[in-house]
Amino acid sequence: MSEAAQAGPKENFVLFPLGKKRFALFADTVTELARPDRLHTFPHTTPLLSGVLLRRGQIVPVCDVAPVLIGPDAPERKFYLITARKGRSASEWTALPVTGECELAASEMLPVTAKLPDYVCGLISLGDESVEVIDLERVMATEGDP
Amino acid sequence: MRLTRTEPRRSSSKRIEPVILFAIGNTRFAIAASSVDEIRSLDGLVACSMSSAYRSLRKVKFTFERNKKNYLVVDANLHFHTPPTQATRILVLRNSSVAVLVDSIDRMCELTAVRKLPQAFGGEERIWYRGLTVVGEELVPVVNPQAFLSKAETAVAITELVGGRVAEEGIKIKTEKGAVSA
Repeated sequence: MSEAAQAGPKENFVLFPLGKKRFALFADTVTELARPDRLHTFPHTTPLLSGVLLRRGQIVPVCDVAPVLIGPDAPERKFYLITARKGRSASEWTALPVTGECELAASEMLPVTAKLPDYVCGLISLGDESVEVIDLERVMATEGDP
Repeated sequence: MRLTRTEPRRSSSKRIEPVILFAIGNTRFAIAASSVDEIRSLDGLVACSMSSAYRSLRKVKFTFERNKKNYLVVDANLHFHTPPTQATRILVLRNSSVAVLVDSIDRMCELTAVRKLPQAFGGEERIWYRGLTVVGEELVPVVNPQAFLSKAETAVAITELVGGRVAEEGIKIKTEKGAVSA
């Protein structure tokens, strides 16, 4: 069997930085990278949500996953990565604050071998760097516990 | 001859809803004007503490009497789990025995649309709010007046109040110009 046949299919990912670490989301779930916008806040009890953005007439909840992914000392978030999440009845946009510019990468997703949190659905290898592919639904289900 | 029945034309104009904008801390909220009976000062408030096993009744911090009827005053900060602020007004809700302590009344305005809360919000806010609306450049939650105290909670609290089981702290709040720390 040829080497090419053994390799899994390449998939597209969006890599986003949070502090010194990079994480990945499936590219087909990402709609855009947006500059900081006005965050509207109001009282609520849902973990990780920091407010909402009003973007192109849509109300977009902002889900700050940094405390779960890298802990409480995350640096200032500079951009919003807008993703399409499956809601309870329909798909809706969710904005993830990230700390720097994002990058598109095509790579084979490797299975999780080491003991990693449940929200890591796979790994991609980019040179020396191993990037965790994140399942946003599972991150949000962690109830905000790092 | 074929008769055609014409459907009544639906008005394309959006329904306009008058609302009262009020503030608690730095957050502005909207409430349907039709659900508010009166906006009062804090005069005549009597501090109380509910002895009920209903944990949710802890947010009832004051009572007052109006036209021989007892009213339960909900501290909005306890309801929304927000830090204490300086309350200066009460919104007395229509067709209920519930009033809400708020910091200030901003103004009235007319809404043409209340947008659903995004599905990502899955906590108590789904009960607290009817949705979100845009006022100027601000997104404002539109409160659900029935969420401050349910009918069952109101009934229990009123029963306790009438039965004298509520520990009235005997402090009539002086509020000619002052404010209550809610």
